[in-house]
Amino acid sequence: MWSRKSAMLGSLAIAMYLLGLTLRNEQLVTIAVVIFVFLTWAALFGGHADVASSGRRSDEWSGEEGMALGSVIAMRKLSSARLFEDGELSVTLRMQNDSPLAKILEVRDRVPEVMRIKEGSNYILMELGPRRETFIEYTIECPLRGFYSIGPVAVRIQDPFGLFHKEKEMHVYDDFLVFPKMEDLKETFVKSRVPKIFTGAVNIRQPGPGSEFYSLREYFEGDSFRAINWSAYARSGKLMVNERERDAVSDIIIIVDSRAVAETGPVSRNALVYSTRAAASLAKYFLSRRDSVGVIVYGDEVVSVDRDTGKKQLYVILTKLAGAVARGNIPLQVVVNRILPHINKGSPIIFLSNLEDDPTIVSALRDFRARNFDVTVLTPSSLEFEFDAKRIDRTGYEVLKTERDVLIGELRGLGVNIMDWEPDMLLSTALAGARGF
Amino acid sequence: MTMNKPSGDTKILYDGKTVRSSAPSRKKLAGQASLGSEIPKDAIPTVEMPTFIESLLGGPLIPKTKFLPPDRMVQNLQLAVYGVLVALSLLTYMVSPPEGTLWYMITGSLAISFIMQIVIIVIAAGAGFWGTMQRDARYTLLSNLFFILAIMRFAASKVSLASDPFDLQDSPGLLNILVVSYAVLLVMYFELANGVIRYSMLDTSIRTNEVYVMNPKKIVGKYHRSLIINPISAAVLAIIVLSANTLLPLIVGIFSSDTATRLEESVELISVYGVALGTFFVFCVVGGLFALNLPNHLQKFREKRAE
Repeated sequence: MWSRKSAMLGSLAIAMYLLGLTLRNEQLVTIAVVIFVFLTWAALFGGHADVASSGRRSDEWSGEEGMALGSVIAMRKLSSARLFEDGELSVTLRMQNDSPLAKILEVRDRVPEVMRIKEGSNYILMELGPRRETFIEYTIECPLRGFYSIGPVAVRIQDPFGLFHKEKEMHVYDDFLVFPKMEDLKETFVKSRVPKIFTGAVNIRQPGPGSEFYSLREYFEGDSFRAINWSAYARSGKLMVNERERDAVSDIIIIVDSRAVAETGPVSRNALVYSTRAAASLAKYFLSRRDSVGVIVYGDEVVSVDRDTGKKQLYVILTKLAGAVARGNIPLQVVVNRILPHINKGSPIIFLSNLEDDPTIVSALRDFRARNFDVTVLTPSSLEFEFDAKRIDRTGYEVLKTERDVLIGELRGLGVNIMDWEPDMLLSTALAGARGF
Repeated sequence: MTMNKPSGDTKILYDGKTVRSSAPSRKKLAGQASLGSEIPKDAIPTVEMPTFIESLLGGPLIPKTKFLPPDRMVQNLQLAVYGVLVALSLLTYMVSPPEGTLWYMITGSLAISFIMQIVIIVIAAGAGFWGTMQRDARYTLLSNLFFILAIMRFAASKVSLASDPFDLQDSPGLLNILVVSYAVLLVMYFELANGVIRYSMLDTSIRTNEVYVMNPKKIVGKYHRSLIINPISAAVLAIIVLSANTLLPLIVGIFSSDTATRLEESVELISVYGVALGTFFVFCVVGGLFALNLPNHLQKFREKRAE
């Protein structure tokens, strides 16, 4: 392929040739000849012509097949297919030259735009010897949750003067998933008002701090004397203690607003980013407390993860949260109408939204409160994000802030535990604020 | 921080209270209250594209023009450009006498057109020096244009020299070599000046970790080899092409000596049209090679041979 430089030189040569004939100027014609010879030499002997190449994934690759496909082969390996935000991913790109001739290659492994190269480089200029291979290693930082792909690998061969080149994209793609990062929570202040009645799918008959008797066991050093069952001691002659059943095991419903408006603000600081991180942290906390957690993400559709417990459930939730894209504008009322028949009365509901552009929010939350659900709303303020990013001026900010405060006050009047979550506030602080601490 | 006072009593919800649905659109209000409704700058991802001049000069590896201080390779290239510039300026002055120039046609004065020619050459050399020293492609391009402008003249099919201390005018062969040397120097100047920019970009990208270069010595070595081989081959081939007026009669002479003699004495063949005829053959051959996709076939042949 001709570069612009060679095209310019070629055009110059033709122009000089014609001008030389018109002006009967031998020097101009001579320059045209020299330029043409220069171009021809670079084209014929620049070694740019061949980029027969193939891309394979490491795990798919079998030596012989790769050999047959072309002379340049690329394979890639990732250190992990799943990681958390701000995590690092090591990428190893293996380039092979099956040709008997050395090649000067420019290789660019395409990484998603939001990623940052932390170590090494994804753009390499190299001389790859005949029948040689090389490993290119680099590390990327993943600051934002989501589904991502690395690839394709773009390879370019050009002559030393950059006159002619040939490019090819080798379709080697590797997918990975970035989960939202989680904050360690000590206490959420969220408990079911109807413990042990609506227990979800979990078998709550587990020992733990509580009031109901669970079983008897032998006394171990460190057990409270108050727990000793003296009657059992009298019967068996061994010190026995009462074990109690866990309290407050319940279903927790987390609703995440992922409408288009949730992404108002800078890419890395907006309501959706904060909401997904909060949802992940809360899910982890409740699941570790053996609660049953369900998540609903709504934007252009309502995506739900049914209530369940355990580590597997956490990964299911994290995957859904990682894939949450700001799209659509489904009103909250539609979501509430859809989920109300399926959630147990009294289950704590945590709603994460910037509360914008939805006229049904008040009525929807009123529906929850009318059925005596314990509703907690954490509302990351898009207003603060935009003001920090200097996208709105002070007057606009004040007006909008007042309106937002009015809405929050209105929701609080319905008995909703609500907190205006400011950008630099920890989730635990916001939660404590929402619950009135 | 806004604190919450939770209420367990939900009776208030059913007391015929009218509740406004929600806050008005914040975005809408923001549009009215803020400075304007244009798209915020940071909302548009920045796409760095090479400038027109950069792309003409071969296109940067990384589209940044703020270079770090030059490394040794770039310094050597700069020195080479300075040397070529001096030689090129002298040769340009020699092969472009003021007669036939545009200035001569306009003013009719040899003195004015001589001064104009000198000014143009000085500007071309000055811009070239400055562009190379500052590694600014705009000045380099300006220099290229002025060098081309300097040679634009009506020559009446005759190579005439402004200054001829070695009496080259009497020796057509040496005159040919001089013209070819001039042309090769001009093309090499284009390439070297471009090389300064390209390698500055590459060096800066390497030092800012935007690109990693494996075996840099081999890559640079290949460029150096090309800088020697290409001009030599270009000069040899150009001399052959420009000697069409002697080569053609030689070939024709094998078949008919009379025709060869007539060709040798032909005014057209020893004029610029003879050169053009030779050049036309080159065009045809080059066009044919590209039409047949010869570079690809040649590469395949080389690979097969290497196997």
